[in-house]
This record gives sequence, structure tokens and C-alpha cells, in this order.
Amino acid sequence: MKKVTVVFIVLLLTVFAFSQTKLVFWTAPNPQQEMFWKEVVAEYETLHPEIDIEWSTIPAAGSSEEAILTAIASGRAPDISTNIFSGFAAQLADIDQLVALNELEGFDELVETRKMGSIIEGWKINGNAYVIPIYSNPVLMWWRDSLLKEAGFDNPPRTYSEIYEFSKNFVVPMERYSIQVIAGRNWWDRWFDFITYYYAAGKGKPYIDTERMRAAFNNEVGQEVAKFIKTMFDNQWTAVDLGTDPFYTGAIAGTLMGPWSIAYAENQYPKVVDDIVITPPPVPDNYPSDQPIYTFADAKGLVIFNTTDHLEEAWEFVQWVFSREDFDSKWLEYTKMPPAREDLLTNEIFADFWEANPLAAEYAKYVPYAIPPAPITTTVDVQDIMTVELVEPLMHGTKDVQKALDDAVKAINRILW
Amino acid sequence: MSKRKGLAKKEARKGFGISSIYLIYAAIFWGYPFVWLFILLFSKWRFVGSPQFVGFRNITRVLTDPLFWKTVTNVFRFMMYYIPLVLIGALLFAIALNKIKFGKTFIALSFLLANVSSGVAYSIMFSNIFSVNGPVNKALNTLFGITIPWFTSPQWAMFSIALIVIWKFIGYYGLILYAGLTAIPKSLYEAAELDGAGSLTKFFKITLPLLNPSIIMVLVLAITLAFGIFTEPYMITGGGPMRSTLTPMMHMITTAFQRMDPTYAATMAVFVAMISFGMIWVIRKTMEREVDLV
Repeated sequence: MKKVTVVFIVLLLTVFAFSQTKLVFWTAPNPQQEMFWKEVVAEYETLHPEIDIEWSTIPAAGSSEEAILTAIASGRAPDISTNIFSGFAAQLADIDQLVALNELEGFDELVETRKMGSIIEGWKINGNAYVIPIYSNPVLMWWRDSLLKEAGFDNPPRTYSEIYEFSKNFVVPMERYSIQVIAGRNWWDRWFDFITYYYAAGKGKPYIDTERMRAAFNNEVGQEVAKFIKTMFDNQWTAVDLGTDPFYTGAIAGTLMGPWSIAYAENQYPKVVDDIVITPPPVPDNYPSDQPIYTFADAKGLVIFNTTDHLEEAWEFVQWVFSREDFDSKWLEYTKMPPAREDLLTNEIFADFWEANPLAAEYAKYVPYAIPPAPITTTVDVQDIMTVELVEPLMHGTKDVQKALDDAVKAINRILW
Repeated sequence: MSKRKGLAKKEARKGFGISSIYLIYAAIFWGYPFVWLFILLFSKWRFVGSPQFVGFRNITRVLTDPLFWKTVTNVFRFMMYYIPLVLIGALLFAIALNKIKFGKTFIALSFLLANVSSGVAYSIMFSNIFSVNGPVNKALNTLFGITIPWFTSPQWAMFSIALIVIWKFIGYYGLILYAGLTAIPKSLYEAAELDGAGSLTKFFKITLPLLNPSIIMVLVLAITLAFGIFTEPYMITGGGPMRSTLTPMMHMITTAFQRMDPTYAATMAVFVAMISFGMIWVIRKTMEREVDLV
């Protein structure tokens, strides 16, 4: 009898194991996000014992893109992955690796439930929604209040001229600079300088016309931004190599930052946190004061790969995750990064969090005005040219504003066309 | 006779069995990628589907790509600073280590620490030290009234990166040269001294010629390193200013994984390998000497 029971249990377990559907799910290698997904996956598995989610962070590699592409090449792509930015999504869609989520049943309801109707518009690639945006991180300006006051400024500078004025009062060459204007020389740094300034100065105008596939920043707005960068460098009010964490050490009074820096500041420089004032990015002098200021959104989303054998199950899991408001609340709690929803400030569920986290609340205000990068397949080349033809010549004073813009746009159009 | 034959066969089988581990390893991790590389060289492929044959298109594209050749020129600029300085530095380190009586191991290990430290960590450290308002520039300004744009000037940036890599490898190369120095018989120096040779004569007529194999080895390692340099320019300068520190490795990685063009990246890799092997061949042909220490 005993033997029969043992055999029966073994058989039952075997049948159970084989009847489970396995979903491979990759998420960003980030401790806060890992904590969030671990709990979410565990809850789903408890509710759906027939689904086994093989959850892991994106394997260690030079970048998430590298790991995912290598996995695709070797036929080991996951079913679902997070940490996808719009440019990479466009590349993956271009090689037909992504499921067009808008063609799946229940997509419109999900968009409505999660209040992401207008946000998802900015993510569409050739009219299709391949990505569910998870978070939308506006890039905003951080100021050191004490340093502003030292230079006689009770309020942070809002316009370019106000920054010039502040710089004249504050800068001591070799000691301290007013703001960090250029984030660095890698291609992705353009997201955190020129593109942010351009979105701010141009009320969210796109820098690439994706309909005509043309660079769209050789205009009055582009000139204002380029002139601002050049003026700051010409007068040595800013520098590139400011060392690590210049904002926290007081080597600069202002810089563009994303909300991910809040947790870093709280952990590494707790004494500086109370000194931080957050404003939108600076704008040209003639920018109307009653108009909202737009900015760049460092946004990442989730995709389903069309190599999946379990599309229905994968889509059900995705729908379940994003229809739960309490998950967005938990995400916010763990990561401090605003979920990509339009009701962040009106939804009661987030209210307590904003009250306890005033710096994160500033970011929430700008989510509706934060625009993701252009969904093009040539992001790397476009932004590399922006660096070499536009930003670096302005920094080193080797070209005037118009020539830098002309050269950059000409070279970018050659790639886009 | 037949017994001996059987034994020989048995031995051969045993030998083959032992070496087959390496042969299988080489087939998987060297042979397979090599064949795959050869396929990629003549095809167009974007990570999915089958590679499409495109003939010599990738090769002609590399030959006419100014950005690729700019990265190769950058490597030569790097070597121009790196090789002489690291060689002299390592030689001085080896000679000093040879003369030290106590604490040799401690000093050698201290120098090797740089070699085993994380590239990312020391890149951050050096970018702070050489920043515009960092300690080096502040000291230079106080003492001489000058500042140096270490990483912001296209002329200086590669030199600054070379300095950092020299710091990392001086101990490692130094130990190779030290091993060469200790192998030189003392009797040669004693004989030279009896003949009235001075320090300089001993160095140029005995030490340097007998160190030839070690020096060649250091040169080969340095050339290989120069063509594979990635972490330092990636972390500190991002390839700038004006692409002056962009290296072939950085260009290949962005091309393969960010521009999604692995076939072109593979073709560039073949060119880089050929250029570096070519250089090593020339160095060995022109500088390598057979040294008999006995």
C-alpha cells in the first residue's frame, strides 16, 4: 500500500511539474527593482500554480541591450523583459522580435485602467504599441539652496540669463562652477543635456521628425539651447571634468538629475538632502512664465518577445501586473521612480508617499510633461553625431552656434534618410 | 615485437585521451567561433535569422570607414606614449627590485595591486584626481600657475589615459623583466668588472642584450593590450574629446550591440587582429635576438 502511495505521489508531482507553463522573465539588474519583482512574481505564482515564472535579472553583460541581443542570437530570448528604452524597442521591432501589444485582447482596457493613454502615445513605433511603459523619469534641475543663497539668490534661476547672473556671482575658477551643463561625452549623455534643454525650450517639440525622418532641431529653439551651452563654456562658468559627485561636494550648485538620484543622495549624502531644491530645466528668457516646462523622460518599459511559446500566459501576467494600483504604489515605495501613469498626483493611493517624499513628489508633477527619446533605430549614431558635431565644438569653442547646428543636422539627416 | 607495438598503441591512445580534453575545448571555444567569424565576415546578419552572403562588402566598408581608421590611429597614438614610458618604468622597477635586500615580496605585491584592481574603480579614482578642480591641477596651479586639461583636450586625453594604464601595468611588466634580470649570471658582471667595465657599459653590453627575450615579451603584451583597450577610455572620456580616445574595441562593441551590426563589428575585429599580429611580427623579426645564458 505504501509503495502504491509513493508511486502515486511521484506520478502526481511529475504530471504537475510537466503541466506547469514556464515563463522566462528578465528584469533590470537593480536592487530596488529586484525587490519589487521578486514579491510580484511570488504572488502571481501563488495565485497561478500552473504558471512557473523563471524570473531573473538581465544577465551580466556590458549592457542590457548586449545581453538581450546575445540571447536572441542564441535562441534563448526570454518571454518577457523589462528595462527596454524606446530606441532599443524600435530596433527590436525593426527585426520583428516584439509582440505588438495593441493587437492583443484587453490592451485598451489595460491602458485605461493604468491611466497611461497619452504616455503610451509617445512610445508608439510605426503606430504600434510594443512596450508597456513601467516608469517615466523626468529629468529635472537640482540646486543647492545654501549655495544659491550664498550668491544672493533666494529662488533658483529659471532662465538662461538668470543662470548667467548667478554664475557671475558664484563661480570661482578651479574651485567651484555654477552648473554642470554637459553630462559627459558618451552618446547617452545627450539625453541628460542637449535633448533635455531642447524639450524644455521648445515646449516638448521633438528633436527628430519621425514622420519625415529628419533632424528637427536646427531652428530658433536649437539656437537658443546651443547659445546657452556655448556661453557657459566661453565664460568658464562650467566645466566637463568635475570629478565624481560634484553636486554633493559643492563643486557645482546645480545639475540635471533623475529621480534615481534621490535614493543615492539619501544613502550617500544624507546631510545634503535637506539642501536640495528641485526645479524644471532652465529655459530661454522669453519662455512664458505661465506655461509648463517640458523635459526629457528617461523611461523604460516591458516587452513580450514574439519568440515566446506562451503568448497568452505572458500577456495575462502583464495585464495582471499593470492593472494593480497597489503594485505601482509598491514600485514607487521601493524605487522612488514615478510609475508611467497620468494620475500620480490625483490618485489617493499615492498621496501618503508624496507627503513623506517631497523630492520624489516634484518628479511626479512633471511626468505628464516628460517626453521619451525619439523612437528611432539609429539612436547611438544620432547622439554620437550630436556629441561630435554640436556639443563638443560648442564646449571647445571651435564652431559658432549656427555652424555647429548645421553640421550636426546635416550629418544626422544623412544617417536617418 | 608485437607486444611492443601493442604497448605503443596503448600509450598513443592514452596520450590522445589526455590531449583530447584540450582539443575538444579548443574546438568549442576557438574553432567554432573562428568558423562563425569567417561566416560573419562575408555576410549581413542582425542577430536573428540566417546570415545573408554579401561578398566583400563588409571588407570594403572597413577599408573606407574613416571612423574605424581613426580608432586605429588612436591606438598608435596610445602606443607612442605607452610603450616607451611603460618599458622604461618597468625596467627601472625591475632594476630597483633586484637591488633591494629586504621586503622584496611586499614591494612586488604592492606594485601588482594596481594590476589586479578593478578597471572601473581606478578609472573613477583617476578622473577625480585629474579633474579640472582636482588635486593635480590645483597643485600645478599653486606651484607653476598652470592647469592641464587632462581629459578635455584632444591632445592631452590619450596621453592621460596612457599614464593611467602605465600605472596599472608597470608592476606586472616589471616582474617579467625582474625574472629576466635574475636569470643573468652574476659571473658575467664580475668578469666585466675585472675588465674595467663601468655601470653604463655593463648595462648596455650585458643587461640590455641578455634581457632581450623579456623585453620582447613585454612589447608583445603591450601591443596586444593597446589594441584591446576599452575600460579606461569608456569610463573616463567616453571616446572623446572629438573621438580622440575612441578605441577599436569601443567602436566594435557599440557597432555590434548598440547599432545592431555584428557582421561589420566582426570584420573590424579581423582587421584589428591582423594589424596587431602584423606589428608583433615586425617587432619580433627586427628586435628579437637569440640569447644563450649558459
